[in-house]
Amino acid sequence: MDQHDANRYSRQIRLPSVGEHGQQSLLDARCLIIGMGGLGSPAAMYLAAAGVGQLVISDFDRVEDSNLQRQIAHRSVDIGEPKAISAKRTLEALNPRCRITAIDWQLDDEELADQVAKADVVLDCSDNFATRFALNRQAFQSGTPLVSGAAIRTEGQIATFLPQDGGPCYQCIYPGDLEGEESCALEGVLAPVVGVMGSMQALQALLVLLGRTAGLAGRLLLFDALAMEWQSVRVPRDEACPVCAGRKAVHDGD
Amino acid sequence: MPTVAMTPHLYHFFPVLENRKITLAAGSVVELLAAINEIAPGFTDYVLDDRGALRRHVNLSINNTMVVDRKKLTDHVPDDATLYIFQALSGG
Repeated sequence: MDQHDANRYSRQIRLPSVGEHGQQSLLDARCLIIGMGGLGSPAAMYLAAAGVGQLVISDFDRVEDSNLQRQIAHRSVDIGEPKAISAKRTLEALNPRCRITAIDWQLDDEELADQVAKADVVLDCSDNFATRFALNRQAFQSGTPLVSGAAIRTEGQIATFLPQDGGPCYQCIYPGDLEGEESCALEGVLAPVVGVMGSMQALQALLVLLGRTAGLAGRLLLFDALAMEWQSVRVPRDEACPVCAGRKAVHDGD
Repeated sequence: MPTVAMTPHLYHFFPVLENRKITLAAGSVVELLAAINEIAPGFTDYVLDDRGALRRHVNLSINNTMVVDRKKLTDHVPDDATLYIFQALSGG
């Protein structure tokens, strides 16, 4: 870490839970973010600002005017641009030392597996169940921590899954083949709700990178913006889960 | 008596449940859901499939721990418990 970084990240380095060693871990880290919409925008911006060394951002949609109410990585001048490219510009302006790789096409299974395996942590900021289940499978195949967030209307959910700890996975909460896909386009969403949830995803990803996972494992947080309440639900592993059943914890020295 | 709470979106479909404290006799999850259905007809059709199992996008917790038995809903909801009903979100 040079003097520039020491100054830039001084308010984080000051924290006992981060310190120089922790900040160096962030500078050395590579995060994969799937989706550059309402969740992915704040998540990526906070990770870039916090000094994560490399962000791989993936989205094959283009910016539309109806996105701009909540997808804060994009500007009016970006309408019509691929979201991944638009967000890359924003992130590079925010932190020129953060290396950004923009993927503006739909990843096939092989590409997704490759990107998940290369990442230190994956953030699921997608907007559909098919991607959520695919990411969950790939994360558990490669042992990569997964921070899964979702938001719609005035509600949000977030959970971090830690394959190496032998904990539950997304499919332990919701069995596959979900019915009733909902979208912000049809259901609506209050702008800051995705900001709250995307910021929480960035926070949980930073905790993973800092090795501070004790408070994350096996918990699903539910946010009700109207009541201004959070609930924390303990998630046991489904012993019949087709993704994670039988998986054992992996610890250093094993 | 256990208390029942739910994700606010469900009030959109069952407005009779909104702004009221729902307390029911202790029992199994399936018994409590049946009691809610008495107050809000059609509720069990929304959360249960045609075999009486929890729909895949719906989940329940008892005192903030997810229920174990999604098929027959035999988990016991004790007197001092809160049964919370929520569903998967896909938006991002």
